[in-house]
Amino acid sequence: MNTPVRTARARTSRLRRISGTASVHAVLLGYTLIAVFPVFLVMMNSFKDRRGIFGEPLSLPHAGTFSLEGYATVLSEGSFATYFGNSLIVTVASLFLILFLGAAAAHALAEYRFRFNALLKIYMIVGIMVPIRLGTVAILKLMVDLNLVNTLLALILVYTAQGLPVAVFILTEFMRTLSRDIKDCARIDGLSEYRIFLEVVLPLIRPVLATVAVFSMIPIWNDLWFPLILASSDATKTVTLGVQQFIGQFTVNWGAVLAALSIAILPVLGLYALFSRQLIAGITSGAVKG
Amino acid sequence: MSDLTLRNVIKSYGSTKVIHGVDLQVRDGEFVVFVGPSGCGKSTLLRMIAGLESITGGEVAIGGEIVNDISPADRGIAMVFQSYALYPHKDVYGNMAFALRHAGVDKAEIDARVQRAADILGLRDLLHRRPKELSGGQRQRVAIGRAIVRDPKIFLFDEPLSNLDAALRVQMRVEILRLHQRLKTTMIYVTHDQVEAMTLADRIVVLHGGRIAQVGTPLELYHHPDSIFVAGFIGSPKMNFLEAALTGWSQEGAHVQVPSLGEIVVPVSRQGGSERETGARLGIRPEHVQLADPATAAMRGEVLVVERLGGETYLHLDVGAADPFVVKTDGAVSARSGEHVGLAFPPHALHLFSASGAAFPHRERHRTLAEPQGA
Repeated sequence: MNTPVRTARARTSRLRRISGTASVHAVLLGYTLIAVFPVFLVMMNSFKDRRGIFGEPLSLPHAGTFSLEGYATVLSEGSFATYFGNSLIVTVASLFLILFLGAAAAHALAEYRFRFNALLKIYMIVGIMVPIRLGTVAILKLMVDLNLVNTLLALILVYTAQGLPVAVFILTEFMRTLSRDIKDCARIDGLSEYRIFLEVVLPLIRPVLATVAVFSMIPIWNDLWFPLILASSDATKTVTLGVQQFIGQFTVNWGAVLAALSIAILPVLGLYALFSRQLIAGITSGAVKG
Repeated sequence: MSDLTLRNVIKSYGSTKVIHGVDLQVRDGEFVVFVGPSGCGKSTLLRMIAGLESITGGEVAIGGEIVNDISPADRGIAMVFQSYALYPHKDVYGNMAFALRHAGVDKAEIDARVQRAADILGLRDLLHRRPKELSGGQRQRVAIGRAIVRDPKIFLFDEPLSNLDAALRVQMRVEILRLHQRLKTTMIYVTHDQVEAMTLADRIVVLHGGRIAQVGTPLELYHHPDSIFVAGFIGSPKMNFLEAALTGWSQEGAHVQVPSLGEIVVPVSRQGGSERETGARLGIRPEHVQLADPATAAMRGEVLVVERLGGETYLHLDVGAADPFVVKTDGAVSARSGEHVGLAFPPHALHLFSASGAAFPHRERHRTLAEPQGA
């Protein structure tokens, strides 16, 4: 007598679980569609000719509209490789500085007891709340005085400053959770404070570094504002700025714009894949549970 | 020579003093255990010896050399931590070799030392595993191995067994003892577990509130505690205390009046006690109480709880005092809760403490202590 009742109940609870999972997936899928659709649209249209882009913007490229003329324009335009190089240099150099300096600052704030420690931490973190663009005029003046206008260094410095507050904030919180014993053990093993940071602490925080890297990377790669203001010369243009040359006052070469943007997605995608694997490896390696 | 001397060692954080002038002499090759409740300063004291905490006042000397301003790596110590503190990104071999590699010891020598430590600890088959692939006991063994390869003058252990389960703790305790017998190196061991302290130590240092409460061999502390704190801390189950009134002194010892027990004589001497002192506390260990016929016994109590451990049984009794009175008896005892039992106390097993908590010394030393040590 018991059995049928139990099966019925099991069935309803199973149904409820399935419908719960389904609704969660529906929401996630919906969000994914919204997020991916513009990217898809850009990529799809980059393979069409001008008529195809305007005539059937939402349809896939077919024999009548397929064209690589956008890519041809972009790749034949000699300086585009330079723009890519500039973007990569600026992004990678800024990321390195953000991660290294951010981790070093976070280590000091989390590890050492000294006067003004809390104050210093607040000072570093307040940067999260103040948009760096508010300081554009002052930054421009400073760069002019330092003779850094139209150099990649100007961009690297600005992006490092822009990325540090969040990096320090996330890394400090995480470093507080690191075991104190392991650092003490390294001290007894004779490591200097620098080597403790480099050889013991950095390997332990790799997953968090990857997280911070992903967070910091995208805004730098995508930025148009600072390249436009600080480094708009032809030799220092970044990809986002380089694309602007296809946007004229009267005509826009949409094929080239879309092709350039499609290409511009690839390097960040690559970097993201690199970091995210580190991220997942970190989470699954049991780095947290001793 | 690798003895350790602490002279009036003081530690304060800002205006808060946590170690109040500790003096201690540890002989070469001795196994000394620091024990005390949490917050008593035992770990801080160990970290000061290691050089991980600065020394606010006083001196720490290792092998005759004052090490106050010497870095932890150059003090000739090795430390084993409660959380093992293994480097997670290095394998067992890498963990053990790390300090030596860093010190520039040559490869063959490193290999020889690591292999020897691995042999001592049975880690030979695990040398190329990562810490996350090891069990808790194996990790702690690696941590000990890492200490051994450094060939230190003094081993420091900071609650090394507290993260292990009970069975493993007993096993590792024995291993640490055998390691000490084999290496004959000075060892300082911090624990809050008085069983570990009793079983491991040549001498125990009981710390209380940043001061040394008493130093002595395990049996000295057990039989002749200096204070009510040490008496309550050493021994399990804990010593029973009864409020008592001092009524006078005679040739046999102190005459005390205990409610529910009447007047008894405790064979202690008056040394240090003041003339007018009347308040006192009587202490008796659960294992020294004997069950007696309720009709004629000196004291009676109602059984509240019976804890049967198989080989022995703990009776928790209501004797009219604030706390339950615990008696350790034979495993086969038939007592049940609600029953009344009679209790008898052998006079030599009684302890008497003044109102301030200091112990009145026994007239006779316990006989196992009269024998020469280590014979």
